[in-house]
Amino acid sequence: MAILEVRDLSSGYGEVQILWDLSFQLESGRLTTLIGANGSGKTTTLRAVMGLIRPWRGAIFFDGQDITMLPPYRKAAMGLIMVPEGRQLFADMTVMENLEMGAVTGRARPRFRQNLDRVFDLFPRLKERRNQKAGTLSGGEQQMLAIARALMAEPQVLFLDEPSLGLSPLLVLNLFEVIRRLKTEGLTMLLVEQNVHLALAISDYAYVLSGGRIELEGKARDVAQDDRVRKAYLGL
Amino acid sequence: MDFRVLLASLIDGLMLGFVYGLAAMGLTLIWGVMRVINLAHGPIIALGMFGVYLLFIHGGVNPYLGLLIVAFLGLLFGILIYALAVHRVLTAPHLSTLLATFSVNMMIIGVGTALFTTTPRNIDISLGRLVFGPVVLLGTRLVAVLAAVFITAALYLFLYRTTLGKMVRAVASNRAAAELMGIPSSRVLALSFGLGTMLAAAAGGLIATFFPFTILSGGTYELKSFVICVLGGLGNPTGALVGGLILGALEGLIPTFMPVSYVPVIEFLLFVLLLLLRPQGLFGER
Repeated sequence: MAILEVRDLSSGYGEVQILWDLSFQLESGRLTTLIGANGSGKTTTLRAVMGLIRPWRGAIFFDGQDITMLPPYRKAAMGLIMVPEGRQLFADMTVMENLEMGAVTGRARPRFRQNLDRVFDLFPRLKERRNQKAGTLSGGEQQMLAIARALMAEPQVLFLDEPSLGLSPLLVLNLFEVIRRLKTEGLTMLLVEQNVHLALAISDYAYVLSGGRIELEGKARDVAQDDRVRKAYLGL
Repeated sequence: MDFRVLLASLIDGLMLGFVYGLAAMGLTLIWGVMRVINLAHGPIIALGMFGVYLLFIHGGVNPYLGLLIVAFLGLLFGILIYALAVHRVLTAPHLSTLLATFSVNMMIIGVGTALFTTTPRNIDISLGRLVFGPVVLLGTRLVAVLAAVFITAALYLFLYRTTLGKMVRAVASNRAAAELMGIPSSRVLALSFGLGTMLAAAAGGLIATFFPFTILSGGTYELKSFVICVLGGLGNPTGALVGGLILGALEGLIPTFMPVSYVPVIEFLLFVLLLLLRPQGLFGER
């Protein structure tokens, strides 16, 4: 069953249209990836679905409800949570405060304790550094905190925008291990990644974006075998 | 120079400095959270003065009880200003928010002058005095210091110990990320603007208990607030309080060396020098 369905979404910045009648859906409990070259509209797609930029046309359904024009905070309150590109932490607040700010919605607040135990179990480093300011963490720790903060929000659907950006190869592997673990726990996720190879390797389903349009979609395994994808993104 | 006179002037100035700091905190809070320079800051200080005055003269309300009422009204008024004038231009270039808040300034001054004229008013209360050798502590100023310290402490507890206060800091730090976490950022911004005007109105109410004032008096304190904010680093509430104390100390000490009319000259000289040499403020990080 599709928990999130995007129909014919068009959007952009100012006068410039970036997304052209985009349609995709996220199946509950599955890891879906959105891949594409730089400037193909991946981040714009996430921003438009979240409501950070206004959808021009089209509709977005979440859990059966039309959420097209809701502001981001209302979507977050329903459990649609995004880890934005570049972490976007509250830099001058502590790790603990960042986690608290992840859990302000009505659906997240009652589960604060359990979720805190869960993210500290997932990222023990954050527990050690919980009184440190987020801005003083290393790049890898900041990415952990960005994901942890989002998990505190009790997501029904989690968007991950370029989570591996700026991480060392070892940290990227750790990150993908975490994503794999969240997937096993049954979390529905949409992963936007430059690291196409890894993204296809752990995802169930894939959409390939080109020029703001869906160029190709299918099971991640099949998409990885597609000649166009192999040439354009995998360098094979 | 008599040391005793110097000490008395210094303490007198420092006591005023607490209240100046309180006013500046309102300006700095709004800047810190939403990067808006509130040019209606001065008139709101003046409205705080008139609020306490009118409640006292016409309603017989004790000025300190009146201060609580005025603080609350200041909060509501700030939320109203945000909703009507600031919200729609918040993401526009700085000039738009400057013009928007300046319009509010002009409206308050215009209506205020029509209603109250510019005849000086004053609130005639005395809480006695404490005398320690050469140092005379006026009761009204002492209470104003306590009130300023209390309000500052309350602001800190709010910002660092309550979820709503942390939301204010989160929105200040990264509005989009706050929104993505489910924080209704527009409402938080409205509240923050209200808190900033509340601080200004409260400072005005306190000043009214020891200085005469007109609807135009706020302008002086608005300018002082700018100097203080630059001293303490714009966006930094603790800096505002310390900046207020520095300015208060200068105001106390300068008249013991030279004519009192030199006070603003020195203050603004300091202002310009700081902007040139240390624009992040004496204690600012950014």
